[in-house]
Amino acid sequence: MDSLYEHLHADGLISDESFEKIKQKQNLFSVHWEIKTLLYLGVLLLTSGLGLLIYENIDTIGHKVVLALIALICTGCFAYCFKMALPFTTEKVKSPNTSSDYVLLLGSVSFLTFIGYLQYEYKAFGTNYNMATLIPMLVLFFTAYYFDHLGILNMAIANLAVWMGVSVTPKALLLNSGFDSKTIIYTYLVLGAILLTGAYLTQRLNFKRHFKFSYQHYGVHVTFISLLAGYFFYYNSAFALLWMLALFAIAFLIYLDAFKSHSFYFLLLVVLYGYVAISSLVVRMLLLAQDEGALYLLMLYFIGSAIGLIFLLINLNKRLKAS
Amino acid sequence: MIAYNKIWLTSLRLQNDVKENQNRGYITAEEFKNIKDKYPVGFYTPGLFARIGLFILTIIVVTFADGILSLLFASASNLFDTAGWVFFLSILSYTALEVIVSSKHHYRSGVDDALLFISALLSGVASAMLFSHYNVVYYMPVSATIFILSLYFTIRFADMLMAALCGAALFAFIYFGWTKLVPFGIATIPFVIMLVSAGLYWGSYNLNRQKQFAGYYNCILIAQIIFLLGLYTAGNYYVVQTLGDNISDQAGKPIPLGTFFWLWTMLIPLVYLGWGIFKKNTVLLRMGLVLIAAAIATFRYYYHVLPLDMVLTMGGALILGIAYTAMRYLKTPKHGFTYAEPDTGHMMDHLKVESLIVAETFAKVPSPPAEERSRFGGGDFGGGGSSSSY
Repeated sequence: MDSLYEHLHADGLISDESFEKIKQKQNLFSVHWEIKTLLYLGVLLLTSGLGLLIYENIDTIGHKVVLALIALICTGCFAYCFKMALPFTTEKVKSPNTSSDYVLLLGSVSFLTFIGYLQYEYKAFGTNYNMATLIPMLVLFFTAYYFDHLGILNMAIANLAVWMGVSVTPKALLLNSGFDSKTIIYTYLVLGAILLTGAYLTQRLNFKRHFKFSYQHYGVHVTFISLLAGYFFYYNSAFALLWMLALFAIAFLIYLDAFKSHSFYFLLLVVLYGYVAISSLVVRMLLLAQDEGALYLLMLYFIGSAIGLIFLLINLNKRLKAS
Repeated sequence: MIAYNKIWLTSLRLQNDVKENQNRGYITAEEFKNIKDKYPVGFYTPGLFARIGLFILTIIVVTFADGILSLLFASASNLFDTAGWVFFLSILSYTALEVIVSSKHHYRSGVDDALLFISALLSGVASAMLFSHYNVVYYMPVSATIFILSLYFTIRFADMLMAALCGAALFAFIYFGWTKLVPFGIATIPFVIMLVSAGLYWGSYNLNRQKQFAGYYNCILIAQIIFLLGLYTAGNYYVVQTLGDNISDQAGKPIPLGTFFWLWTMLIPLVYLGWGIFKKNTVLLRMGLVLIAAAIATFRYYYHVLPLDMVLTMGGALILGIAYTAMRYLKTPKHGFTYAEPDTGHMMDHLKVESLIVAETFAKVPSPPAEERSRFGGGDFGGGGSSSSY
């Protein structure tokens, strides 16, 4: 590769100064990602091991020891993080070092285990299950904001969903297809609205602006999925149209915002969810015809519309880059 | 040979290299711009998310186009379920791919990825249909055909997925061919696979240092992963025993040369790891780390020395200890190793992948055993999560 830079240097494309720098550079081998993965795995294994340990030894004397150990880990981790943390600001705060991120993660997860166990064994929050999930959620949100930890913010958002009685993690969203009940659809809709408002306020108030992505990511998926679910739930009543209208209104708002914040990810989500919505309307109309020709029309629609969207995406990508 | 414009490919590699040096602060932005102007790249390559979107949409277009063609022409004449018709559809996708690449200059745009994926899938299905007869699949010719097809696609489009498929198909062909044609094939197959994969790894290692194969750098890297995996798997105790059981129908019988295979299972990951550190080779290093987990899983399958919760707790503590020690040790770079973040901008930062993984794996805390879950009522607090999946 050095001959390449000699060549560039000879062509006058690289100044003498830069060429010197390149010749001097040390090629260090970075094990950054390996060590980060190990830290993550270590936290994952340790916390799930401890979580199993207390419930398996529940009738023996040992579980008190395990409980004490979890409490010790939790307080130790938080004490370390409070000691090391840089002062709080509303901007992005760099973590003092890489391992402190994982210490905080270990502390938070063991805190969740501890609270869950207290409730299970001693009914610490009585029979008020709302409280048993509300407190961990609040602690997680506080931890995420105070120490500026994106991973814990995402855990807090997931716990917000748990508190409301639903789930936002992709696996659960896809597998628990419990969208056949009114309560669940409305709960998801409210959750989506809360998250999207959160994303909006984060940016508007300029308070931890880099947290916006997490709120918006979960918010967009949950809102669109619940609106589509609502449409299909009320499929045979006129009310269904209202859900579609709401979907297109939200899609338009997110479209504008994605352009403003230069995010092709959200642009893509709007296009794809919008496509699903429009397609379900088209399919519905063509099925009304009850004719064999409708099947051909349907296939032609999908071919034509997808080709159209390909050009749309290419065009949007160009405009986003240009703006 | 390669379908994409070769001059642009070379310029693209040059630009990427210079860009990396710019990120490290060795080269000024103006110099980078001049180099970019001098060595232009005319490919259409949008960002990651545009690529994903275009991939999905292209799959939709081709699926429905194939559907309508089959409905119009093939259903009437019983062509529909013949290998020839599927192969014909594959050729159609392939033609579209060649046109898109040569006239529209798509390069890793999602459109070419999708067309290549469909061409490979359909031609693979066609060859499986061709070499099967009333529910009996003749694996040897099928794997041979898939190997040849994917090798062609790899050479033509330098695609990493095709390279992985190619390596896997080669192993499948050797396995089915050797056990079918050679007497005592099943007893000798582990050693054959070991020899072949070791030889191929050595060959690919040398290949990747040669300049004229620079365009295939990533493909060869993927192939190396497959070869290293094959080398380990061929001697893994569990794999050898399971394959032996399948042939002899005697489950759970200890295998001959058991000590050798146990040593192989336990030591090869460490050899990879050590060799990776010695050679500063990322592929070997990471394969070593992953295969250590495989070795432990194999060991625990046969010997239940400790209950699972203890293994997890102690393993977690041990890993944290190792990582912490390594960080302390590398606080200042030593022996050419550093702990500092590489300067190359990481693609995954766009999606904040790490935080999403954290939410997925830790969102549900270890919860009470399943039969007690009802106590938590509508809160849906339990649900298993990490605790029950182990």
